[in-house]
Amino acid sequence: MELLLQTLLNGILMSGIYALVATGLALSLGVVGIVNFAHGEFLMMGAFLSYLLFAFRGMDPLLSLGLAFLAAFVVGALTYQGLIRPVLRAAELNQMLLTFGLSILLQNLALLLFGADTRVVAPPYQATTLSLGPFFLGVVPFGAFLLSLAILLMLQVFLTRSRFGLAMRAVSQNRLAPGLLGIEADKVYLLAFGLAAALAGVAGVMLSVMLYASPTVGFVFTLKSFAIVALAGLGNLKGVVPAALVLAMAEALVSTYLPGGGGLVEAVFFLVLFLALVGRAWRKA
Amino acid sequence: MKGFGHFPLILLSLVLFALLPFLPFGVWQAFLLDVGFFVLLFTALALSWDLVARTGQLSLAHGAFFGLGAYSAGLLAPQLGTLPALLLGALTAGAGALVLGSVTLRLHGLYFAIASLAFSEVLRTLALKLPFTGGPIGLPVPPPFAGAWPLATYYLSFGVLLLATALSLWAERSPFRLAQAATRQSEAVARVLGVRVVQVKLWSLLLGSLVAGLAGGVYGMKTLFLSPYDAFSLGRAVEALVIPIFGGLYTTLGPLVGGVVLVSLEQALRLWIKEGYLVVYGAILILVILFLPRGLVGILGRRRG
Amino acid sequence: MGKVVGFLVLLAGLAWAQVPLKVGVILPLSGASAVSGKAALNGIQLAADEANAAGKVRLELVVVDDGTDPAKAVPAFTKLMTVDKVDIVIGGLASGVTFALSGPVKQYGPLFLVIGAASSVVEQAFEGYPLFFHYHPWDYHNVAAALQFFQYLNREHGAKKVAILYEDGPFGSAGIGVYKQQLEKLGYQVQAEPFKAGSGQFTAILTRFRAFAPDILYWIGYDVDALPIATQARQVGLRPKLIYGAPPSWPIGFEKNPLSNDIAGMTAWLPTVANAESRRFVEAYRKKYGEVTEEYMAPMGYTILKSLALAAEKTGSADKNRIAEALAGLKMPTPFGLLSFKPSDTGRTKYQGFGSEIWFQFQYLQGSRRPVFPKEVATRPLRYPGEYYLR
Repeated sequence: MELLLQTLLNGILMSGIYALVATGLALSLGVVGIVNFAHGEFLMMGAFLSYLLFAFRGMDPLLSLGLAFLAAFVVGALTYQGLIRPVLRAAELNQMLLTFGLSILLQNLALLLFGADTRVVAPPYQATTLSLGPFFLGVVPFGAFLLSLAILLMLQVFLTRSRFGLAMRAVSQNRLAPGLLGIEADKVYLLAFGLAAALAGVAGVMLSVMLYASPTVGFVFTLKSFAIVALAGLGNLKGVVPAALVLAMAEALVSTYLPGGGGLVEAVFFLVLFLALVGRAWRKA
Repeated sequence: MKGFGHFPLILLSLVLFALLPFLPFGVWQAFLLDVGFFVLLFTALALSWDLVARTGQLSLAHGAFFGLGAYSAGLLAPQLGTLPALLLGALTAGAGALVLGSVTLRLHGLYFAIASLAFSEVLRTLALKLPFTGGPIGLPVPPPFAGAWPLATYYLSFGVLLLATALSLWAERSPFRLAQAATRQSEAVARVLGVRVVQVKLWSLLLGSLVAGLAGGVYGMKTLFLSPYDAFSLGRAVEALVIPIFGGLYTTLGPLVGGVVLVSLEQALRLWIKEGYLVVYGAILILVILFLPRGLVGILGRRRG
Repeated sequence: MGKVVGFLVLLAGLAWAQVPLKVGVILPLSGASAVSGKAALNGIQLAADEANAAGKVRLELVVVDDGTDPAKAVPAFTKLMTVDKVDIVIGGLASGVTFALSGPVKQYGPLFLVIGAASSVVEQAFEGYPLFFHYHPWDYHNVAAALQFFQYLNREHGAKKVAILYEDGPFGSAGIGVYKQQLEKLGYQVQAEPFKAGSGQFTAILTRFRAFAPDILYWIGYDVDALPIATQARQVGLRPKLIYGAPPSWPIGFEKNPLSNDIAGMTAWLPTVANAESRRFVEAYRKKYGEVTEEYMAPMGYTILKSLALAAEKTGSADKNRIAEALAGLKMPTPFGLLSFKPSDTGRTKYQGFGSEIWFQFQYLQGSRRPVFPKEVATRPLRYPGEYYLR
């Protein structure tokens, strides 16, 4: 019983970051309509920003969070202006190739600048642990979970209360007839894409503390985010959090209870995803 | 029949590839043959992806078909000999495609893509865990025909491309093309028009997977070694999709030109730029999309009016 | 008379120096093994500079990138053979790629000086190839070296339970069956769990290990896993007496992270290793590149090119067979200790450079890595149990 609860706890904590990264992806997919393969690279930039500030300025990653948000937002907005806007009306596959090209470019630029080495930061609270009775709770994963939740809540408020947010939701619910003027739609897209990147940037800072910074750190998260977004239903922002929870739980349960589970985590998860997608499609029809 | 208008060009490139081993490239001969091998193989894979994409199914399972073909052929070659092993490898990939296709019939676009990706990941794990695959350590594969003929791998690869091109041309010329296009644009409308959507989708996936499986089998016989992370690589599935978009979708010439240009471009960039060549590669992909929305064949189309 | 002879020797030397010896270098400069590949190349270039400066031989390097990918490595190798026309190739870092090169190598027949490729599957692939010189120890050497340490831990410190985390690729899984079996033979209770490298998620597995209460947490994976394991072991309340890892390289800046304290690992070389060759290498490396490397592949590359230069010098010829002959009889001090070639333990290949003797165990102690085992090389006593247990 204790093991089960601890496992569930582990799963819940991990779901926060998954949800944060996947929400960014869902924003660019749902609002702008872009399948962004370079999403993980925004995350990678956040991780490197955190590492560089820590290594050369001695800056605590906590302070990098806001900076990474802004920096990634700007990079995202610039990406939208320079690369995404020209292909908004292009075929979906063309957009995918473009973001794939961007992903290769950014990843290898990082490789050229920083090398392929794994880099780590060392804030004093990195492995601090709270013990609640028989349960253990890492301060960093817990903090990251809370922060992710807070950011997602703020996003929710933004989407339901502000004019731009409402416009964004309108676009995500019906991309064909948003009833917006061209200029306004453009601003909405810009904002959504910037926000998507910013969420990934923040997640990158958190991951630099929990995992590491390297040019390829984003890849796994892009893959999992796509899975989460598909599980949630494309463009369904609200479904992202539950979907992230399902993924994280499945991972935690499989690797705790299945012998040799650590090597099967991804396979089981993808199997679940596969069955969920197929099952849903057949039920609908 | 726009695509068929490029038939002379397609024929010319095929003839060039057939003659490549006998053209006077001096010291570059052997190197070009090696590059040529991978150009042929990955181009065939790209064509097989395009064949599936023409029905609107965005496959990320081509890495899995490739891996299925590679592993089956690699496991069977010592007992059955080269050609039967390759054939059975292709059939295994085809069987995998039928399983995938029949359960994902109702999935579209990105949903199908993610489901096929999931399929691929599950199969890779199987290759990693099954007792007879060599697991994570890998599987040694004998060279084709016991290494009796040095040009064997090259011509096997050429054969795969030939098959892929023939299938693609057939699909482009026959009424199958209209059925595929209708299915891609709207399955509901296609059904009304009397297109057997299910069959069209399954046949396309099957044909594509057969070619991909064959390509995988030949790949193993060249590299002489397979590992799950290499044979079932997601990177290969992505390459199979990048080439047709780069060259021009839903045609025979597009993936052909795209494959030749992109695979040799990568080799060339790696030789001349060395460090950081992939930055240039990524930039080229972006520029092509920005300025040639219809891929490389867009240039040809424009020139012809 | 002496002067005349000296002059003649000098003249002969110059005449020889006019004919450069072309050496092909095929390493992963991109892809999964790029870190090791670049370190190796740095070492090779440093040794080439030194050899050329000494003036007795003139080496010309032709470097190509194998991309850690068979599809890229094969054409690159063919180019070395046919376009650049080299007779001697240094390379073969990743096992899979090296296996893929076995076909072309046998076809073109160069002198092949292999820097990595520890998997004994590679040894089978090159069985009977006469010009195959393998410098790096084979995987069974690695296992032997680690087991020696485990035996010591069992005997001297009473360690009884090992929990093994191994990544599910070829690196982590290749020797796992043998490891388990051998550890049990030593009297250990073993629990082993696979994981996916780079996923960074160990909490679940570590939580499960807690019930097992291992004395040693042993992980076989990559640099990306080092920090997550160190933090997550603490976060789930797992308290092993020793955390022991065997990645090919460690994260940059890990030693400055307090969490690395008392973590032990196995390596073939550290910049602080106290032999004359190693000190010379570190100094020269710092002079050329302005930094100290921690990667053992750098001195490995350096050693290979040094031995090649020495062999070429001895034969005074650029003929690959004569150089191979000279290499086979070579005895040379290196940063790893003495290098000489002997048939491998399995008898499959004739020229094996280093064996399990070059591996040693180190521990992160107050911000740097110190050799702790075996006794002959230890500069500090092993801290057992480590601070992650004492908390």
